[in-house]
Amino acid sequence: MKAEKFFRTLPMKLSILLFALILFTFFSNDFGLVDIQKTAIILAVGIDKSDDGYTVASQIAVPKGSDRTTGGTSSVEIVTEGATVSDCITQIYARTGWVPKMVFCNLILIGEEAVHEDVFGFLNYFLRNEYMSDSCFLAACEGSACRVISSRSAVADASSLAITGLFSDAAKKAGRVMTITLKDLSIGYYGVSKSGYLPYVRMRLQEGSQSSGEEESGSSTAPQYVYSAEETAILSNGAMVGLLTDSETLAFSLLKGNVFAGTFNAPDEQKGRPVTLTVLSDDGKVELKVGARPEVTLHLDLRVRLCCRGVTAPLEDIAGDSVPDSVLANAEEKLDGDILSLWRKIAAADCDLFGLRRTLYRTSLKEYGRWKETLLTGAAVTRELHVSTTN
Amino acid sequence: MSKISPRQLYFFLACVAPVGKLVLLPTHLANIAGNDFLYPLLVQYVIGAAAVFCTLLLVRRGKTLPVLLEEVCGKAVSRILCTLLSLFLFYATLVPLLEQKTFVQSVFYDTLPSLAAFAPFFLFAAYLMAAPLERQGRMWDLLAPVAAVGLAGILVLSFGSADYGALLPAVSMGFKSFSEGTMSATSWFYDSAILLTMLGKVEEEKGIAVKGMLFYLLGGAAVGLFFATFCAVFADTAVNQLFAFSKTSKYFAGITVLGRIDYFFIFLLAMVMAFYCVLPAQAGVDLLVGAFHKPRFLGPAVAVLLAAAYFTVSVSLDYRFGELVKAVTSTSFWVFPVFTVLAPVLLLALRGGRRES
Repeated sequence: MKAEKFFRTLPMKLSILLFALILFTFFSNDFGLVDIQKTAIILAVGIDKSDDGYTVASQIAVPKGSDRTTGGTSSVEIVTEGATVSDCITQIYARTGWVPKMVFCNLILIGEEAVHEDVFGFLNYFLRNEYMSDSCFLAACEGSACRVISSRSAVADASSLAITGLFSDAAKKAGRVMTITLKDLSIGYYGVSKSGYLPYVRMRLQEGSQSSGEEESGSSTAPQYVYSAEETAILSNGAMVGLLTDSETLAFSLLKGNVFAGTFNAPDEQKGRPVTLTVLSDDGKVELKVGARPEVTLHLDLRVRLCCRGVTAPLEDIAGDSVPDSVLANAEEKLDGDILSLWRKIAAADCDLFGLRRTLYRTSLKEYGRWKETLLTGAAVTRELHVSTTN
Repeated sequence: MSKISPRQLYFFLACVAPVGKLVLLPTHLANIAGNDFLYPLLVQYVIGAAAVFCTLLLVRRGKTLPVLLEEVCGKAVSRILCTLLSLFLFYATLVPLLEQKTFVQSVFYDTLPSLAAFAPFFLFAAYLMAAPLERQGRMWDLLAPVAAVGLAGILVLSFGSADYGALLPAVSMGFKSFSEGTMSATSWFYDSAILLTMLGKVEEEKGIAVKGMLFYLLGGAAVGLFFATFCAVFADTAVNQLFAFSKTSKYFAGITVLGRIDYFFIFLLAMVMAFYCVLPAQAGVDLLVGAFHKPRFLGPAVAVLLAAAYFTVSVSLDYRFGELVKAVTSTSFWVFPVFTVLAPVLLLALRGGRRES
C-alpha cells in the first residue's frame, strides 16, 4: 500500500522538486554575487568628441572600506578612446581586466563639442544595452565631459554623485534645474517633436581649495570643484541649438507646472531693492489651438508669498506676509520678459520644447502636415500671466 | 483521471493564455504598426474568440479529437491529421520557449549569464510535456490568480508614468501596416489549437462555448489594456522595448526609494509564462499519445526527445532569436490560421462523429 501511495504521489513530488529547481536557477541572479575584483561598476560616463571618434571617461566605483571613518563610495576614472562609444566601453576590459557593468550607471555627461552634434549618434549604444537602465540622468557640460567626470568634488565622494545630487526632486521643484532621463530624451528625439533639453553643468573651483598642482581626483592635493546646472541646453534633432539662462530655465519650469516652494526675485521700487517671492502654487501650461493659423497660449497662474524683502522691515511686515500690488505687477512683468525671451529662443532654434508638434500630430494629421515646418515661427503667441498672493 | 472542469478552462482562457502575449508581441507589433498596434491585436482576438467558440462547441460531442477524426475519416487518416496538428504545436512552442529563455537571461541577470542558468528549464519542460493534459486543470487553478495579481500589479505601477495620448492619432499607419501586423501576430494566437487537443478531456457544461469565448475576450481586454499602457509609457520608443511586461512598471515613482518592487509582479508573470510556453508541446505530445492509443513509452519518449531538440535549437540559435521570430512570423505565418481557425471550423462542419441523442 505504501509503495503504491508513493508511486501515486511521485509525479507531484517530482514536479514540486523540479519547479523549485527552476525557481532557484531562474531567479537566483547568480545569487546576487558580483565579483568586484573582476567587475567595473560604472557610476557615470562622460563623453567627448575626439579626432578619431569619442573619448569616454568612465567613473568606476571601487571599495573604500567598511568602517565608519572610511566608508562611502570611492571611485576611479578610466579614460578610453575609440571610434564608437561601444569601443571605448569595451576597452575598459582590455585595459583593466574588469568587465564593465552598466546597470548602476546613473549619469551620462556630454561634453560641449559632442553635444553640438546629434547626440543619438552615441546615445543609441545605451538605448540598445538591455543591461542598462534608461532612467539614468543626462546632462551636457561646459568644456570636456571627461574632465568634469574626472574632477574632484568638494561635496561628495565622486563627481557624479555631486552632479546627480543637483538633479534631486527638491532642486527640480525649486525650479532651479530641468532634469531629463535617457528615456524621456529619446521619446522627444524619436517622436515628431524631434526636440529635447539637457541640464547644462558648469564646474567652478571651490574657494580655498588648491588651484594648482595635479588634477587627479585621487590625489589629496587635487583642486576641489562644485557644480551647478541652472542653465539648460536646448536640442533640436539631437544637437544643441541654444542655451537657456537660469531665468529662462525657471520660466520653462514654471510653464511646465513643476515648481513648488521655489523662489525668484522681483523689483520693488518703493524700497529700492528686489524682494524674493516663494511660489506656493504653479499652474503653468502651454496650449495650442489651430484655426486659420496656430495660436499658442503660454499660461501661467502663480500664487506667491513674500520670502525676503532685502531691506530692514518692521516686525508687523514680517508677521503678515502681504505682497504689495506693485511687487506683484513687477513679478508679472519680470516673468513675462523671461517667458518671452524663452519663446523667442526656442522659436529661433526650432526647438519644440513644449511638444506642440506632438500635440498637433495627435489632434489633427491634416493640420500637422500643414504646419509642422513652421509651427513655432508661424504661430501667434499669447502670454497669460497672473501672479497673486495668498491673501 | 478527472477531467478539466469548465472553471479551470475559463481560468486558462482569461488569465493564463494572455500572459503569452505580453513578452515580445507588444514590441513586435509596435515595430510594424506603430501606435496603431491595438487594431491587429483586436482582430486577432476577435478571430481567436470565434475559433475558441467553434472548438468549445465540439466539447458537447464528448469525444477526443483522435476518436472524432477516426469516426469520420478512419484510423489512418486520423493518425496522420493528429500527427500534423502535433507537429504544428511543437513548431508553435519554439517562439514562446525561446521568448522565455531570452526574457530570463535579459531581465533577471545584470550581464549575459552562462548557458547553465537556463538549461534546467528543459528538464522541467520534458516533465511537463510527458504529463497528461488533464493535470493542467489543477495547475490553472493555481496559475490564474498568480497571473491576475502579476498583471494587475504591473498595470497599477505603470499608470502613473503613462500618457495615453501616445495612442493618438487613431489611424495613422495605414492599411499595409495593419494587415502586416495582423498577419505576423498569428504566431502568438494558437490557443484554439491547444483547446482542440483537450476535446473529450473537459467536463461538459451548458453554454461552455459562449462562456469560454467571453472569458477569452476578457483576457483579450486585459492584454489590450496592457498594450495601451505600454504604448502610453514608451510612446515612439516602444519599438525598442523588448520584454514588455518587465519594462512598463519600472518608472513607478516609489521605485527610487523602495527599489524594484515591480520585480515581484514580474516574477509572478514569468512563473506563469514558464508553464504556458511549454503548453503547446505538452498538448502535442498528449495528442500523439491519444492518437496512437496510449502506448506507455510514447509520451515520455517524445517529451524527452522534444526537450533535447528544443535545448539544441536554443543553444544553436542563441544569437539568432530575432531571425527565428522573423521566420516564424513572416515566412510561415500562414501555418497558424490553418490549425487555429480553419481546423476548428472544418471539424465543426463534419457531420460524422456527432453524439447520438
